[in-house]
Amino acid sequence: MLLAADLLSANVGLIVWWGLVFLALLLLLRRYAWGPITSALTEREETIASSLNRAEAALEESKRLQESNAQARRENELQAQRLLREAREEAQQLREREVLRTREEISALRNQAQEDIARDKEKALQALRSEVADLAILAAEKVLQENLDGSRQRVLVDRFIDDLSAQRHNQFPYEA
Amino acid sequence: MQSARRLLCLWCMLGFLAPMTVLAADDEEFDAVHHTADGYYLDFSPIGKIELPRIFIIRSEVTGYSLRTYWTTRSALRSGEMHASLHSEEVEEDTHAEAEPDTEALIASGDHLGATLVPNDGEVVLDLSMTRHLMFALLASGILLTIFLQLAGKYKRGIGRTSAPQGLFQNLFETLVIFVRDDIAIPNLGRDKYQRYLPYLLTAFFFILTCNLLGLVPYGATATSNLNITAVLAAFTFVLTQVNGSRDHWRHVFWPPGMPVLVKFLLIPTEIMGLFIKPIALAIRLFANLTAGHLVILSLIGMIFTFTQLFGEAVGYGVVPISLGFTLFVMCLEILIAFIQAYIFTILSALFIGMAIADHSHSEAH
Repeated sequence: MLLAADLLSANVGLIVWWGLVFLALLLLLRRYAWGPITSALTEREETIASSLNRAEAALEESKRLQESNAQARRENELQAQRLLREAREEAQQLREREVLRTREEISALRNQAQEDIARDKEKALQALRSEVADLAILAAEKVLQENLDGSRQRVLVDRFIDDLSAQRHNQFPYEA
Repeated sequence: MQSARRLLCLWCMLGFLAPMTVLAADDEEFDAVHHTADGYYLDFSPIGKIELPRIFIIRSEVTGYSLRTYWTTRSALRSGEMHASLHSEEVEEDTHAEAEPDTEALIASGDHLGATLVPNDGEVVLDLSMTRHLMFALLASGILLTIFLQLAGKYKRGIGRTSAPQGLFQNLFETLVIFVRDDIAIPNLGRDKYQRYLPYLLTAFFFILTCNLLGLVPYGATATSNLNITAVLAAFTFVLTQVNGSRDHWRHVFWPPGMPVLVKFLLIPTEIMGLFIKPIALAIRLFANLTAGHLVILSLIGMIFTFTQLFGEAVGYGVVPISLGFTLFVMCLEILIAFIQAYIFTILSALFIGMAIADHSHSEAH
Protein backbone atom coordinates (compact mmCIF):
# COMPACT_ATOMS: atom_id res chain seq x y z
CA MET A 1 0.00 0.00 0.00
CA LEU A 2 1.19 3.45 -0.80
CA LEU A 3 1.51 5.87 2.06
CA ALA A 4 0.31 8.80 0.01
CA ALA A 5 -2.74 6.95 -1.23
CA ASP A 6 -3.85 6.04 2.27
CA LEU A 7 -3.17 9.18 4.27
CA LEU A 8 -3.59 11.89 1.71
CA SER A 9 -6.34 10.51 -0.50
CA ALA A 10 -9.30 12.81 -0.91
CA ASN A 11 -12.65 11.37 0.08
CA VAL A 12 -15.35 13.57 -1.38
CA GLY A 13 -18.11 11.67 0.43
CA LEU A 14 -16.41 12.26 3.77
CA ILE A 15 -15.97 15.94 2.96
CA VAL A 16 -19.68 16.24 2.11
CA TRP A 17 -20.77 14.40 5.23
CA TRP A 18 -18.44 16.22 7.51
CA GLY A 19 -19.24 19.61 5.99
CA LEU A 20 -22.94 19.08 6.68
CA VAL A 21 -22.40 17.61 10.16
CA PHE A 22 -20.01 20.32 11.21
CA LEU A 23 -22.34 23.04 9.95
CA ALA A 24 -25.20 21.45 11.90
CA LEU A 25 -23.00 21.11 14.98
CA LEU A 26 -21.95 24.74 14.69
CA LEU A 27 -25.52 26.01 14.32
CA LEU A 28 -26.87 23.80 17.13
CA LEU A 29 -24.13 24.74 19.54
CA ARG A 30 -24.37 28.41 18.61
CA ARG A 31 -28.11 28.48 19.18
CA TYR A 32 -28.43 26.24 22.23
CA ALA A 33 -25.03 26.26 23.94
CA TRP A 34 -22.67 29.13 23.15
CA GLY A 35 -25.43 31.72 23.17
CA PRO A 36 -26.72 30.98 26.69
CA ILE A 37 -23.24 30.30 28.06
CA THR A 38 -21.54 33.43 26.77
CA SER A 39 -24.51 35.65 27.58
CA ALA A 40 -24.55 34.24 31.14
CA LEU A 41 -20.82 34.85 31.46
CA THR A 42 -21.13 38.39 30.18
CA GLU A 43 -24.04 39.05 32.49
CA ARG A 44 -22.15 37.67 35.47
CA GLU A 45 -19.07 39.70 34.66
CA GLU A 46 -21.14 42.84 34.32
CA THR A 47 -22.85 42.11 37.63
CA ILE A 48 -19.50 41.62 39.32
CA ALA A 49 -18.07 44.75 37.75
CA SER A 50 -21.07 46.86 38.75
CA SER A 51 -21.05 45.35 42.25
CA LEU A 52 -17.42 46.30 42.61
CA ASN A 53 -18.17 49.79 41.38
CA ARG A 54 -21.06 50.11 43.81
CA ALA A 55 -18.93 48.84 46.69
CA GLU A 56 -16.23 51.31 45.72
CA ALA A 57 -18.78 54.13 45.64
CA ALA A 58 -20.25 53.04 48.99
CA LEU A 59 -16.80 52.99 50.53
CA GLU A 60 -16.13 56.44 49.13
CA GLU A 61 -19.46 57.64 50.48
CA SER A 62 -18.85 56.18 53.92
CA LYS A 63 -15.40 57.76 54.00
CA ARG A 64 -16.96 61.07 53.08
CA LEU A 65 -19.62 60.66 55.77
CA GLN A 66 -17.01 59.74 58.33
CA GLU A 67 -15.03 62.79 57.37
CA SER A 68 -18.04 65.05 57.66
CA ASN A 69 -18.98 63.46 60.99
CA ALA A 70 -15.53 64.09 62.35
CA GLN A 71 -15.74 67.65 61.06
CA ALA A 72 -19.09 68.17 62.78
CA ARG A 73 -17.79 66.70 66.01
CA ARG A 74 -14.78 68.96 65.94
CA GLU A 75 -17.04 71.95 65.33
CA ASN A 76 -19.34 70.89 68.15
CA GLU A 77 -16.42 70.50 70.51
CA LEU A 78 -15.14 73.92 69.60
CA GLN A 79 -18.57 75.43 70.13
CA ALA A 80 -18.96 73.70 73.49
CA GLN A 81 -15.57 75.00 74.56
CA ARG A 82 -16.50 78.48 73.44
CA LEU A 83 -19.83 78.34 75.30
CA LEU A 84 -18.12 77.11 78.44
CA ARG A 85 -15.55 79.86 78.25
CA GLU A 86 -18.22 82.48 77.68
CA ALA A 87 -20.29 81.15 80.62
CA ARG A 88 -17.24 81.16 82.81
CA GLU A 89 -16.40 84.72 81.82
CA GLU A 90 -19.95 85.84 82.37
CA ALA A 91 -20.02 84.22 85.79
CA GLN A 92 -16.75 85.91 86.62
CA GLN A 93 -18.09 89.28 85.52
CA LEU A 94 -21.30 88.70 87.46
CA ARG A 95 -19.39 87.84 90.59
CA GLU A 96 -17.17 90.87 90.22
CA ARG A 97 -20.17 93.12 89.73
CA GLU A 98 -21.84 91.55 92.77
CA VAL A 99 -18.76 92.07 94.89
CA LEU A 100 -18.52 95.65 93.75
CA ARG A 101 -22.15 96.31 94.48
CA THR A 102 -21.89 94.69 97.94
CA ARG A 103 -18.85 96.75 98.67
CA GLU A 104 -20.71 99.91 97.68
CA GLU A 105 -23.69 98.94 99.77
CA ILE A 106 -21.48 98.26 102.72
CA SER A 107 -19.75 101.59 102.39
CA ALA A 108 -23.11 103.34 101.95
CA LEU A 109 -24.39 101.65 105.09
CA ARG A 110 -21.28 102.60 106.95
CA ASN A 111 -21.63 106.22 105.86
CA GLN A 112 -25.26 106.17 106.93
CA ALA A 113 -24.28 104.74 110.25
CA GLN A 114 -21.57 107.31 110.73
CA GLU A 115 -23.98 110.09 109.89
CA ASP A 116 -26.52 108.68 112.34
CA ILE A 117 -23.85 108.42 114.98
CA ALA A 118 -22.77 111.98 114.36
CA ARG A 119 -26.35 113.24 114.53
CA ASP A 120 -27.09 111.35 117.73
CA LYS A 121 -23.90 112.62 119.19
CA GLU A 122 -24.83 116.18 118.28
CA LYS A 123 -28.29 115.61 119.74
CA ALA A 124 -26.76 114.16 122.86
CA LEU A 125 -24.34 117.04 123.15
CA GLN A 126 -27.22 119.45 122.69
CA ALA A 127 -29.14 117.70 125.42
CA LEU A 128 -26.06 117.55 127.59
CA ARG A 129 -25.40 121.23 127.01
CA SER A 130 -28.90 122.29 128.04
CA GLU A 131 -28.63 119.92 131.01
CA VAL A 132 -25.27 121.39 131.91
CA ALA A 133 -26.70 124.90 131.53
CA ASP A 134 -29.66 124.03 133.71
CA LEU A 135 -27.33 122.49 136.24
CA ALA A 136 -25.06 125.49 136.08
CA ILE A 137 -28.00 127.82 136.53
CA LEU A 138 -29.23 125.83 139.41
CA ALA A 139 -25.79 125.84 140.85
CA ALA A 140 -25.41 129.54 140.26
CA GLU A 141 -28.87 130.20 141.75
CA LYS A 142 -27.78 128.30 144.73
CA VAL A 143 -24.62 130.38 144.81
CA LEU A 144 -26.01 133.77 144.12
CA GLN A 145 -29.39 133.16 145.68
CA GLU A 146 -31.79 135.63 144.36
CA ASN A 147 -29.32 138.28 143.06
CA LEU A 148 -30.16 137.99 139.61
CA ASP A 149 -33.42 137.36 137.82
CA GLY A 150 -33.91 134.23 135.97
CA SER A 151 -33.90 135.41 132.41
CA ARG A 152 -30.77 137.52 132.71
CA GLN A 153 -28.87 134.63 134.22
CA ARG A 154 -30.05 132.33 131.52
CA VAL A 155 -28.65 134.50 128.76
CA LEU A 156 -25.30 134.74 130.49
CA VAL A 157 -25.03 131.00 130.95
CA ASP A 158 -26.04 130.25 127.37
CA ARG A 159 -23.34 132.58 126.08
CA PHE A 160 -20.83 130.95 128.27
CA ILE A 161 -21.76 127.49 127.11
CA ASP A 162 -21.66 128.57 123.47
CA ASP A 163 -18.20 129.89 123.97
CA LEU A 164 -17.29 126.71 125.66
CA SER A 165 -18.67 124.53 122.91
CA ALA A 166 -16.93 126.68 120.27
CA GLN A 167 -13.68 126.15 122.08
CA ARG A 168 -14.24 122.45 122.32
CA HIS A 169 -15.14 122.30 118.64
CA ASN A 170 -11.84 123.80 117.74
CA GLN A 171 -10.01 121.51 120.04
CA PHE A 172 -11.84 118.18 119.26
CA PRO A 173 -13.70 117.95 115.91
CA TYR A 174 -16.49 115.31 115.81
CA GLU A 175 -15.28 113.34 112.90
CA ALA A 176 -12.21 111.62 114.04
CA MET B 1 15.04 5.84 46.19
CA GLN B 2 11.25 5.85 46.02
CA SER B 3 11.21 7.21 42.51
CA ALA B 4 13.64 4.49 41.44
CA ARG B 5 11.27 1.85 42.84
CA ARG B 6 8.36 3.41 41.02
CA LEU B 7 10.29 3.35 37.78
CA LEU B 8 11.04 -0.34 38.34
CA CYS B 9 7.34 -1.08 38.91
CA LEU B 10 6.45 0.76 35.71
CA TRP B 11 9.09 -1.22 33.87
CA CYS B 12 7.61 -4.53 35.11
CA MET B 13 4.09 -3.48 34.17
CA LEU B 14 5.22 -2.62 30.68
CA GLY B 15 6.90 -6.01 30.54
CA PHE B 16 3.61 -7.74 31.28
CA LEU B 17 1.89 -5.89 28.49
CA ALA B 18 4.56 -6.79 26.01
CA PRO B 19 3.96 -10.52 25.25
CA MET B 20 0.49 -9.77 23.95
CA THR B 21 1.87 -7.42 21.30
CA VAL B 22 4.63 -9.82 20.38
CA LEU B 23 2.10 -12.63 19.96
CA ALA B 24 0.00 -10.41 17.74
CA ALA B 25 3.00 -10.04 15.47
CA ASP B 26 3.01 -13.69 14.61
CA ASP B 27 0.07 -13.89 12.26
CA GLU B 28 -0.42 -10.30 11.10
CA GLU B 29 1.91 -7.91 9.43
CA PHE B 30 2.17 -4.66 11.30
CA ASP B 31 1.44 -1.54 9.27
CA ALA B 32 1.55 1.80 11.07
CA VAL B 33 0.20 3.79 8.15
CA HIS B 34 -2.73 1.44 7.75
CA HIS B 35 -3.67 1.90 11.41
CA THR B 36 -3.51 5.67 11.15
CA ALA B 37 -5.42 5.89 7.90
CA ASP B 38 -9.18 5.99 7.51
CA GLY B 39 -11.23 2.88 6.80
CA TYR B 40 -14.73 1.56 6.31
CA TYR B 41 -14.80 -0.25 9.68
CA LEU B 42 -14.27 0.26 13.39
CA ASP B 43 -11.23 -1.68 14.53
CA PHE B 44 -11.71 -3.52 17.82
CA SER B 45 -9.09 -6.18 17.11
CA PRO B 46 -8.33 -8.65 18.47
CA ILE B 47 -12.06 -8.80 19.39
CA GLY B 48 -13.21 -8.01 15.90
CA LYS B 49 -14.06 -5.37 13.35
CA ILE B 50 -17.38 -3.62 12.86
CA GLU B 51 -18.06 -2.81 9.25
CA LEU B 52 -19.72 0.50 8.55
CA PRO B 53 -22.59 1.22 6.12
CA ARG B 54 -21.71 1.83 2.50
CA ILE B 55 -23.67 4.44 0.59
CA PHE B 56 -23.10 5.12 -3.09
CA ILE B 57 -24.60 7.42 -5.65
CA ILE B 58 -24.25 5.49 -8.89
CA ARG B 59 -24.78 6.44 -12.48
CA SER B 60 -25.52 3.64 -14.87
CA GLU B 61 -26.42 3.74 -18.51
CA VAL B 62 -29.52 1.67 -17.91
CA THR B 63 -31.13 3.17 -14.80
CA GLY B 64 -29.50 6.60 -14.62
CA TYR B 65 -28.63 8.02 -11.19
CA SER B 66 -29.46 5.85 -8.20
CA LEU B 67 -28.68 5.66 -4.50
CA ARG B 68 -27.43 2.33 -3.18
CA THR B 69 -27.07 1.64 0.52
CA TYR B 70 -25.64 -1.46 2.22
CA TRP B 71 -25.18 -2.05 5.94
CA THR B 72 -21.68 -3.44 5.44
CA THR B 73 -19.00 -3.76 2.82
CA ARG B 74 -19.57 -7.51 3.05
CA SER B 75 -23.24 -7.20 2.14
CA ALA B 76 -22.41 -4.81 -0.69
CA LEU B 77 -20.14 -7.41 -2.19
CA ARG B 78 -22.56 -10.29 -1.57
CA SER B 79 -25.45 -8.35 -3.15
CA GLY B 80 -23.84 -9.04 -6.48
CA GLU B 81 -24.30 -5.41 -7.52
CA MET B 82 -20.72 -4.43 -6.66
CA HIS B 83 -17.35 -6.07 -7.07
CA ALA B 84 -14.05 -5.44 -5.39
CA SER B 85 -11.08 -3.87 -7.01
CA LEU B 86 -7.95 -3.94 -4.86
CA HIS B 87 -5.69 -0.92 -4.54
CA SER B 88 -2.36 -2.25 -5.62
CA GLU B 89 -1.50 -2.75 -9.26
CA GLU B 90 -0.53 -6.42 -9.15
CA VAL B 91 -3.70 -7.50 -7.40
CA GLU B 92 -5.74 -5.61 -9.95
CA GLU B 93 -3.91 -7.46 -12.70
CA ASP B 94 -4.69 -10.67 -10.89
CA THR B 95 -8.39 -9.85 -10.77
CA HIS B 96 -8.36 -9.10 -14.44
CA ALA B 97 -6.61 -12.33 -15.07
CA GLU B 98 -9.05 -14.30 -13.00
CA ALA B 99 -11.91 -12.29 -14.52
CA GLU B 100 -14.26 -13.20 -11.65
CA PRO B 101 -12.65 -12.68 -8.18
CA ASP B 102 -13.79 -14.99 -5.46
CA THR B 103 -15.91 -12.74 -3.24
CA GLU B 104 -16.15 -15.13 -0.30
CA ALA B 105 -12.42 -15.78 -0.26
CA LEU B 106 -11.78 -12.05 -0.26
CA ILE B 107 -14.17 -11.54 2.65
CA ALA B 108 -12.59 -14.42 4.55
CA SER B 109 -9.13 -12.90 4.16
CA GLY B 110 -10.40 -9.54 5.40
CA ASP B 111 -8.92 -7.71 2.41
CA HIS B 112 -12.34 -6.67 1.16
CA LEU B 113 -12.22 -3.75 3.61
CA GLY B 114 -9.25 -2.27 1.79
CA ALA B 115 -10.70 -2.80 -1.65
CA THR B 116 -12.42 -0.26 -3.82
CA LEU B 117 -16.01 -1.20 -4.59
CA VAL B 118 -16.99 -0.88 -8.23
CA PRO B 119 -20.57 -1.31 -9.39
CA ASN B 120 -21.15 -3.99 -11.98
CA ASP B 121 -23.42 -1.80 -14.07
CA GLY B 122 -22.05 1.71 -14.10
CA GLU B 123 -19.77 4.02 -12.11
CA VAL B 124 -19.72 5.56 -8.65
CA VAL B 125 -20.48 9.27 -8.82
CA LEU B 126 -20.16 9.88 -5.10
CA ASP B 127 -19.08 7.48 -2.37
CA LEU B 128 -20.94 8.61 0.74
CA SER B 129 -19.86 5.59 2.80
CA MET B 130 -19.42 5.97 6.51
CA THR B 131 -15.78 5.83 7.58
CA ARG B 132 -14.03 5.32 10.87
CA HIS B 133 -12.92 8.93 11.06
CA LEU B 134 -16.41 10.17 10.25
CA MET B 135 -17.78 7.97 13.06
CA PHE B 136 -15.28 9.42 15.50
CA ALA B 137 -16.02 12.94 14.30
CA LEU B 138 -19.71 12.20 14.90
CA LEU B 139 -18.86 10.77 18.31
CA ALA B 140 -16.91 13.94 19.12
CA SER B 141 -19.87 16.04 17.93
CA GLY B 142 -22.17 14.00 20.16
CA ILE B 143 -19.85 14.49 23.11
CA LEU B 144 -19.73 18.24 22.45
CA LEU B 145 -23.52 18.47 22.23
CA THR B 146 -23.95 16.45 25.43
CA ILE B 147 -21.43 18.48 27.39
CA PHE B 148 -22.36 21.93 26.22
CA LEU B 149 -26.14 21.59 26.11
CA GLN B 150 -25.92 20.37 29.70
CA LEU B 151 -23.59 23.25 30.56
CA ALA B 152 -25.92 25.73 28.88
CA GLY B 153 -28.80 24.25 30.92
CA LYS B 154 -26.90 25.02 34.09
CA TYR B 155 -26.42 28.63 33.05
CA LYS B 156 -30.06 28.91 32.04
CA ARG B 157 -31.06 27.76 35.52
CA GLY B 158 -29.06 30.68 36.88
CA ILE B 159 -26.05 28.77 38.16
CA GLY B 160 -23.09 30.76 36.92
CA ARG B 161 -25.35 33.56 35.69
CA THR B 162 -26.22 35.16 38.98
CA SER B 163 -24.14 32.93 41.26
CA ALA B 164 -20.68 31.44 41.12
CA PRO B 165 -20.24 28.37 38.88
CA GLN B 166 -20.62 25.10 40.76
CA GLY B 167 -18.74 21.87 40.52
CA LEU B 168 -15.79 20.53 38.57
CA PHE B 169 -17.78 20.09 35.35
CA GLN B 170 -18.94 23.69 35.08
CA ASN B 171 -15.70 25.22 36.34
CA LEU B 172 -13.56 23.16 34.00
CA PHE B 173 -15.47 23.97 30.84
CA GLU B 174 -16.11 27.54 31.82
CA THR B 175 -12.36 28.04 32.19
CA LEU B 176 -11.83 26.72 28.66
CA VAL B 177 -14.68 28.80 27.22
CA ILE B 178 -13.32 31.93 28.87
CA PHE B 179 -9.83 31.04 27.67
CA VAL B 180 -11.06 30.86 24.07
CA ARG B 181 -12.98 34.09 24.47
CA ASP B 182 -10.38 36.17 26.33
CA ASP B 183 -7.12 34.78 24.97
CA ILE B 184 -8.07 33.79 21.43
CA ALA B 185 -11.15 35.70 20.22
CA ILE B 186 -10.87 39.13 21.83
CA PRO B 187 -7.14 39.83 21.24
CA ASN B 188 -7.39 38.89 17.55
CA LEU B 189 -10.86 40.07 16.61
CA GLY B 190 -11.32 43.10 18.79
CA ARG B 191 -13.70 43.65 21.67
CA ASP B 192 -16.60 44.93 19.56
CA LYS B 193 -16.47 42.33 16.77
CA TYR B 194 -15.52 39.07 18.47
CA GLN B 195 -19.05 37.99 19.38
CA ARG B 196 -19.96 37.14 15.80
CA TYR B 197 -17.08 34.68 15.44
CA LEU B 198 -16.86 33.31 18.97
CA PRO B 199 -19.33 30.42 18.34
CA TYR B 200 -17.23 29.16 15.43
CA LEU B 201 -13.98 29.45 17.37
CA LEU B 202 -15.45 27.65 20.38
CA THR B 203 -16.90 24.88 18.21
CA ALA B 204 -13.64 24.41 16.32
CA PHE B 205 -11.55 24.47 19.49
CA PHE B 206 -13.63 21.96 21.40
CA PHE B 207 -14.20 19.72 18.38
CA ILE B 208 -10.51 19.51 17.58
CA LEU B 209 -9.61 18.99 21.22
CA THR B 210 -12.19 16.22 21.62
CA CYS B 211 -11.09 14.47 18.43
CA ASN B 212 -7.43 14.70 19.42
CA LEU B 213 -8.14 13.21 22.82
CA LEU B 214 -10.39 10.49 21.36
CA GLY B 215 -7.37 9.38 19.35
CA LEU B 216 -5.54 8.58 22.57
CA VAL B 217 -8.31 6.37 23.92
CA PRO B 218 -7.91 2.61 23.34
CA TYR B 219 -9.62 1.58 20.08
CA GLY B 220 -10.11 5.24 19.31
CA ALA B 221 -9.28 6.92 16.04
CA THR B 222 -8.28 10.51 15.44
CA ALA B 223 -10.67 12.26 13.11
CA THR B 224 -8.35 15.27 13.02
CA SER B 225 -5.60 13.08 11.53
CA ASN B 226 -7.74 12.91 8.39
CA LEU B 227 -6.90 15.56 5.84
CA ASN B 228 -10.49 15.64 4.54
CA ILE B 229 -11.84 16.59 7.94
CA THR B 230 -9.19 19.19 8.68
CA ALA B 231 -9.78 20.57 5.19
CA VAL B 232 -13.47 21.06 5.97
CA LEU B 233 -12.57 22.87 9.19
CA ALA B 234 -10.08 25.06 7.35
CA ALA B 235 -12.72 25.72 4.67
CA PHE B 236 -15.03 27.10 7.34
CA THR B 237 -12.27 29.48 8.45
CA PHE B 238 -11.65 30.41 4.81
CA VAL B 239 -15.32 31.15 4.14
CA LEU B 240 -15.69 33.17 7.33
CA THR B 241 -12.56 35.12 6.45
CA GLN B 242 -13.57 35.95 2.89
CA VAL B 243 -17.27 36.57 3.51
CA ASN B 244 -16.55 39.04 6.27
CA GLY B 245 -13.51 40.64 4.67
CA SER B 246 -13.51 44.41 4.94
CA ARG B 247 -12.93 46.80 2.04
CA ASP B 248 -9.38 47.25 3.27
CA HIS B 249 -8.84 43.51 3.14
CA TRP B 250 -9.79 43.32 -0.55
CA ARG B 251 -7.93 46.50 -1.39
CA HIS B 252 -4.78 44.96 0.09
CA VAL B 253 -5.28 41.88 -2.04
CA PHE B 254 -6.13 43.49 -5.37
CA TRP B 255 -4.37 46.85 -5.20
CA PRO B 256 -1.83 46.90 -2.35
CA PRO B 257 -1.38 50.52 -1.27
CA GLY B 258 1.91 52.30 -0.94
CA MET B 259 3.72 50.30 -3.63
CA PRO B 260 5.06 51.14 -7.11
CA VAL B 261 2.71 49.87 -9.81
CA LEU B 262 5.13 47.20 -11.02
CA VAL B 263 5.49 45.80 -7.53
CA LYS B 264 1.71 45.80 -7.23
CA PHE B 265 1.48 43.45 -10.20
CA LEU B 266 3.98 41.18 -8.51
CA LEU B 267 2.13 41.33 -5.23
CA ILE B 268 -1.41 40.72 -6.45
CA PRO B 269 -0.89 37.06 -7.46
CA THR B 270 1.05 36.50 -4.24
CA GLU B 271 -1.77 37.97 -2.19
CA ILE B 272 -4.38 35.88 -4.01
CA MET B 273 -2.31 32.76 -3.42
CA GLY B 274 -1.96 33.80 0.20
CA LEU B 275 -5.74 33.76 0.63
CA PHE B 276 -5.76 30.05 -0.15
CA ILE B 277 -2.43 29.06 1.35
CA LYS B 278 -3.46 30.22 4.81
CA PRO B 279 -6.35 27.75 5.23
CA ILE B 280 -4.41 25.02 3.39
CA ALA B 281 -1.57 25.43 5.88
CA LEU B 282 -4.15 25.33 8.66
CA ALA B 283 -5.54 22.00 7.41
CA ILE B 284 -2.15 20.41 6.77
CA ARG B 285 -0.69 21.55 10.09
CA LEU B 286 -3.46 19.93 12.10
CA PHE B 287 -3.50 16.77 9.99
CA ALA B 288 0.28 16.40 9.99
CA ASN B 289 0.70 16.96 13.71
CA LEU B 290 -1.90 14.41 14.68
CA THR B 291 -0.84 11.88 12.07
CA ALA B 292 2.83 12.23 12.98
CA GLY B 293 2.12 11.64 16.67
CA HIS B 294 0.29 8.43 15.91
CA LEU B 295 2.86 7.27 13.42
CA VAL B 296 5.60 7.82 15.98
CA ILE B 297 3.69 5.82 18.60
CA LEU B 298 2.97 3.00 16.17
CA SER B 299 6.56 3.01 14.93
CA LEU B 300 7.85 2.74 18.48
CA ILE B 301 5.60 -0.24 19.07
CA GLY B 302 6.65 -1.55 15.66
CA MET B 303 10.24 -1.64 16.91
CA ILE B 304 9.24 -4.71 18.94
CA PHE B 305 8.12 -6.52 15.81
CA THR B 306 11.10 -5.43 13.78
CA PHE B 307 13.60 -6.52 16.41
CA THR B 308 11.80 -9.85 16.90
CA GLN B 309 11.97 -10.57 13.18
CA LEU B 310 15.58 -9.44 12.81
CA PHE B 311 17.23 -10.82 15.95
CA GLY B 312 14.81 -13.35 17.38
CA GLU B 313 12.31 -13.39 20.19
CA ALA B 314 14.77 -12.77 23.05
CA VAL B 315 15.94 -9.47 21.65
CA GLY B 316 12.30 -8.62 20.90
CA TYR B 317 11.40 -9.05 24.57
CA GLY B 318 14.42 -6.97 25.56
CA VAL B 319 13.27 -4.13 23.34
CA VAL B 320 9.75 -4.16 24.84
CA PRO B 321 10.41 -2.00 27.92
CA ILE B 322 12.45 0.54 25.95
CA SER B 323 9.84 0.70 23.22
CA LEU B 324 6.88 1.02 25.60
CA GLY B 325 8.71 3.54 27.76
CA PHE B 326 9.19 5.76 24.75
CA THR B 327 5.59 5.12 23.71
CA LEU B 328 4.41 6.30 27.12
CA PHE B 329 6.51 9.41 26.77
CA VAL B 330 5.14 10.17 23.28
CA MET B 331 1.60 9.49 24.56
CA CYS B 332 2.10 12.18 27.22
CA LEU B 333 3.44 14.44 24.49
CA GLU B 334 0.31 13.65 22.46
CA ILE B 335 -1.91 14.85 25.28
CA LEU B 336 0.01 18.10 25.22
CA ILE B 337 -0.22 18.25 21.43
CA ALA B 338 -3.97 17.61 21.58
CA PHE B 339 -4.37 20.89 23.45
CA ILE B 340 -1.68 22.80 21.58
CA GLN B 341 -3.04 21.94 18.14
CA ALA B 342 -6.60 22.81 19.11
CA TYR B 343 -5.25 26.12 20.40
CA ILE B 344 -3.14 26.79 17.32
CA PHE B 345 -5.92 26.03 14.84
CA THR B 346 -8.31 28.29 16.74
CA ILE B 347 -5.92 31.17 17.30
CA LEU B 348 -4.76 31.14 13.66
CA SER B 349 -8.39 31.09 12.51
CA ALA B 350 -9.08 34.05 14.77
CA LEU B 351 -5.96 35.79 13.49
CA PHE B 352 -6.88 35.29 9.81
CA ILE B 353 -10.46 36.44 10.38
CA GLY B 354 -9.21 39.34 12.49
CA MET B 355 -6.81 40.46 9.75
CA ALA B 356 -9.56 40.31 7.15
CA ILE B 357 -12.20 42.20 9.13
CA ALA B 358 -9.89 44.91 10.44
CA ASP B 359 -10.57 48.46 9.28
CA HIS B 360 -7.25 50.21 8.99
CA SER B 361 -7.27 53.85 9.81
CA HIS B 362 -5.81 55.92 6.99
CA SER B 363 -3.02 57.31 9.12
CA GLU B 364 -1.76 53.81 9.80
CA ALA B 365 1.40 52.84 7.99
CA HIS B 366 1.17 49.75 5.80
